[in-house]
Amino acid sequence: MSAATPGTAPTPTPPTPTPVTPTTPATPTPAAQTTPATPATGAAGPASVVRDPYAEQAPVSGIRFLHHLNPLAKFAAPLPVMLALIFTRGVAIPLAFIVLALGLLVIGARLSGRALAALLLGVPAAILVLGFSFGIWVDPARIEGASAAASVVIFAIGDWQFTLAAYLVGLATALRITALLMLSLLAGLTTSGPELVRALVQNLRVPYRIGYTALAALRFVPRFGHELEVIRAAHRVRGTDAGRGPVAAVRRTIATAIPLLASAIRHAERVALAMDARAFGAHATRTERTISRWRVRDTAFVVAFWVVSAAIYWWALQAGLGGVTPDRTEVGL
Amino acid sequence: MNAQPLITLDGVSIRHDEATRATPADVSFEVRPGEVVLLLGPSGCGKSTLALALDGLIPHAVPATLEGTVRVAGLETSAHTVAELSEHVAMVFQDPDAQVVTGTLLDEVCFGPENQLVAASEVLERAERALKLVGLWDRRTDNPDVLSGGGRQRLAVACALALAAPVLVLDEPTANLDPAGIDEVYAVLRELASERDHAIVLVEHNLDAAVDIVDRVVVLDASGRLVIDGPAREVLQQRADELLELGVWLPVSTLAAMRLRAAGVTLSPLPLNPAELAAALDAVDVLPSPLLAPPGTDAARSRMVASSAEARPDASELAGATDVTAPAPAIRVRDCSVRRGGRRGPVVVDGVDLDVASGDFLAIVGTNGAGKTTLLQAIAGVIPAPRGSIDVLGMDPSRADARARARQIGFVFQNPEHQFVAHTVAEELELGLRLQGVDEATRHAEVERMLARFDLVEHRDRHPFLLSGGQKRRLSVGTALVAGAPVLALDEPTFGQDRARASELLDILGGLNAEGTTVLVVTHDLQLVADHASHVAVMRDGRLLGAGPTAEVLAGPLVEEAGLRHPPLARATRGLAGHPEWHAVTRMSQLPVGDRAIA
Repeated sequence: MSAATPGTAPTPTPPTPTPVTPTTPATPTPAAQTTPATPATGAAGPASVVRDPYAEQAPVSGIRFLHHLNPLAKFAAPLPVMLALIFTRGVAIPLAFIVLALGLLVIGARLSGRALAALLLGVPAAILVLGFSFGIWVDPARIEGASAAASVVIFAIGDWQFTLAAYLVGLATALRITALLMLSLLAGLTTSGPELVRALVQNLRVPYRIGYTALAALRFVPRFGHELEVIRAAHRVRGTDAGRGPVAAVRRTIATAIPLLASAIRHAERVALAMDARAFGAHATRTERTISRWRVRDTAFVVAFWVVSAAIYWWALQAGLGGVTPDRTEVGL
Repeated sequence: MNAQPLITLDGVSIRHDEATRATPADVSFEVRPGEVVLLLGPSGCGKSTLALALDGLIPHAVPATLEGTVRVAGLETSAHTVAELSEHVAMVFQDPDAQVVTGTLLDEVCFGPENQLVAASEVLERAERALKLVGLWDRRTDNPDVLSGGGRQRLAVACALALAAPVLVLDEPTANLDPAGIDEVYAVLRELASERDHAIVLVEHNLDAAVDIVDRVVVLDASGRLVIDGPAREVLQQRADELLELGVWLPVSTLAAMRLRAAGVTLSPLPLNPAELAAALDAVDVLPSPLLAPPGTDAARSRMVASSAEARPDASELAGATDVTAPAPAIRVRDCSVRRGGRRGPVVVDGVDLDVASGDFLAIVGTNGAGKTTLLQAIAGVIPAPRGSIDVLGMDPSRADARARARQIGFVFQNPEHQFVAHTVAEELELGLRLQGVDEATRHAEVERMLARFDLVEHRDRHPFLLSGGQKRRLSVGTALVAGAPVLALDEPTFGQDRARASELLDILGGLNAEGTTVLVVTHDLQLVADHASHVAVMRDGRLLGAGPTAEVLAGPLVEEAGLRHPPLARATRGLAGHPEWHAVTRMSQLPVGDRAIA
C-alpha cells in the first residue's frame, strides 16, 4: 500500500491532465469524481434500477464525503483494523467498529432508502442470528466453567445446555465477521468499478493492461449467467436433468459446463480481438481522461481513521473489554 | 480515385492452423481512399479471414499463416503491430456483444483513442463527433447493455470511427441483427459512404441491404481465389449468372428478375433492389400471370383461429373462414399469458389465442421483444405457462415430464451447442430413444435412420462440438425429432447464418413438413417466411396481432402494424401500377416458371 503513505503527490502518467468537457467549455471540475460526461446525466435513456458497477457516480453533496475520497484511501484506512480484528477477542471492540463504520456510511455515503434500512435493521438482526448459530457450535469444554455466564443456561435439550457463555462466544464471532464486512462496505458502497481501476492504475501503478482487462471481464459475468440459464433449459428439454442425488448432480454440472466453456472461450477470443483492433496494449501507458488524485483529504481521512481506531483499541484493552491474541482457535470473550 | 492506395494486397494466401488448405488463396487487390468495396463469396471462401488480415489481426492475433504481403498505408502488416495498424484501419465485427469493454458509451468510444495515447481533449472531440454521427451522443452516459443490437452495432461503428483511421473494415456487421437493427446500421453506413471520408471494406451476405452503398465488388470463389473485381452495378448486373454459379447470394430482386428471364420476361438491366424491380416490371406491358394458388385453396387451408384480446375485424374474418370440417388442431393456445422472471416479472406474452393445424409450417414473426420466443418456449414446455392454456396433441407441456414431451414436440434452441450432452453424434441421437425406454435393436435402427436422414452417417463417431455449423444444426434438429415428435419448434434457426446455410436448413424443414411434421419457427427473416411458411403469426408487444395463411398475412396490414418491413419481393410487387394481379406475389415460387427454375 505504497500510495497510502501520507503525502504521495498526484503524478498523472499521461499528458494533459485537465479533463475537458466537449460541449461546455472546459469547466474547472469542482471534484475529481465529476466526469466530463456528467452534465448530460439523464438527458436520455432509462436510468437502470439495478446498481450498475460501471456507472459513474452522479455529483453528490459535500457532506457525502466518502464519495469524494480516493478509492485507495477507503481501502487503506480500514485495512489495518481489519487485520487486527481477526486476532481480536471480545464483544466491545468489533461492536465499536461496527458503530463507527455505520456512522461513516450513514453520514458519508449516499444510500438509497432500502440500503439504509438493510444497514440499520438487517445488520443487527444478522448479528443476533449469526451469534446464535455460532454459539451452538462452540465446544462447551473450552468455555471457562468458572465464569458466571457459563452457569446461566438459556435452554437445554436433554443433556446439552446452551449457556449464556456459549452465546456470548458466538456473538463475539458474529460481531467480528460483521465488523469486517461493514469496514469493507466503506469502499464497496461508495466506489464504482472504473474509479477503482483508475486509482489502482494511476496511484498504485498497477499495469493498466491488468486493470482494464479485469474491468472488461466483469462484463462477462451477467452474460455467462444468462447463457447458463439457456443451457440448463436446453438440457431440460433433452431430458438429461433426470435423476436425483449427488452423482446425477455432478454429471449435470459437467454436462452444462462443456457448452458454457466452449462459448465462454469463443466469446473471450472475440473480445480480445476487438480490444486488439482498438490498440489495447499498444503503449506502456494510456491516456487518462479522468485523473485520480491523492489529496490532503485522503491523507487526513486515513490518518484520522487510524487514530480513532488506535484509540478504540487502547480504550477497550485498558478497560479489559477484550483481548488481542495470535491464537485464532482460542475461545474468549 | 487515383490517389495512393490505402491497402494493397499482393498474392495473399492465409491458412488457419487447423485447416488443410489456404482460403483465401493468392488474392491481390487494392483499396483506395473513399471507396466502398464489398467482399463477396460463398460460405467458407475466406472472406472474414481476409478481413482480419487487413488490420494485422492475422498473422498477429489469430493462429494462421499468411503468405504474400498486405500493406496498410505503405506498412507491411506482418512487420507492424496491430496497434500501429489500428491508426490506419478500424474494424467492426459481427457480434455486437463481443466488442464492448467499458461501462458507458462515452468511455467505450474513448477506449481506442486512449490506447493510442491521443491527448484527452482530442479523445473527447473524436468521441463526440463519432457518437453524433451514429446518433448516440444523447445516450453517452448509458451502459451499452441497455442498447438494442442495432444500437450496439452503431456503437461499434462509432468506436471504429474514433480511431480516426481512413479505412473501415466491417465483417458481417448485420448478421446478428433483426431487420430494424439492419436498417439502423445501414443508415449510418450510407451516410459514411456518401461523405467519402473513409474507404469502407464490407463483408456482407445480406446484399439486399448492402447493394445500394457499394462502389465495387471483389468476389472470391469457393477455393478462395479472386475471380471478379469490378464496379458493383456492372458486376452484379452483367455477371449475375456467374455469381450464382459460384454460390454467391444475390439480392432478392435480382434473383426474381433472373427467374422471370427464364420464363421469358427479360428485364434489362437486371434490377438490384425492390424499387428497380417494380419499375422494370411496370415498364413491361404484358406479364405472364403469377402462379398464385387458386383462391379456394388458401381459404380452405386457413384453419387457424387468430384473435387477440382486442378482436380485430380482419382477424375475426379469418376466424370465420375456419371451416367446420377442419381437423382438430395439433396445438391449441388459449388466453396464454407468460411473465418472464417469476411472478413479478414483466408480462411478455399477453392473452394469446392460437390454433395450429397438424401439418402446418407456422412462422411466428415480430420485432425484438415482441414475445415470439417466449410464446414458442411456452408451447414447447421449455418455460411454464398457466395450467390449461396450452394443448399440444392432448398434452399440457408445462405439466408433462421430459419423456412425454419429447414424444410430442421437439425444441431446437438458437445455438445448437447448448443442447448437446453426449460425446458422439450417434450417442446424441440415441439419448432421446434411451429416455423413451426403446430396446437396443430398435434404437440402433432408428439412429441409423436419423443419421442417414440428416446426412451425418460419416460423422457418427465425432464429437458434436467438432461438427461444422450446418452439421451441428442438422444434428440438433435430428435430436429433437428422434423420439418421434410430430411437432418441431425452432427458435431463430437462421440467426447469424449466411443465406446459403439458412436456405439449406429451411429446405430440410420444408422436407420434414412435407413428410407431415408440424413445424413452428420464430424468425425475423420475412423473405424466408414468405418462401417457406404456410402460415404466419404476427406478434407485437406480447400480443398476437393476427395469424393466417402466409399469402393473406403478407398481403394485409399486419406486417406493418407489427413494426416490420415487408420482404423485398413483396415490397416490389405491392406497388405495381400496371399489374394488379401481381400484388399478392410474395414468394419466389409464385413467379412464373420457365424451362429452367433458378430459385
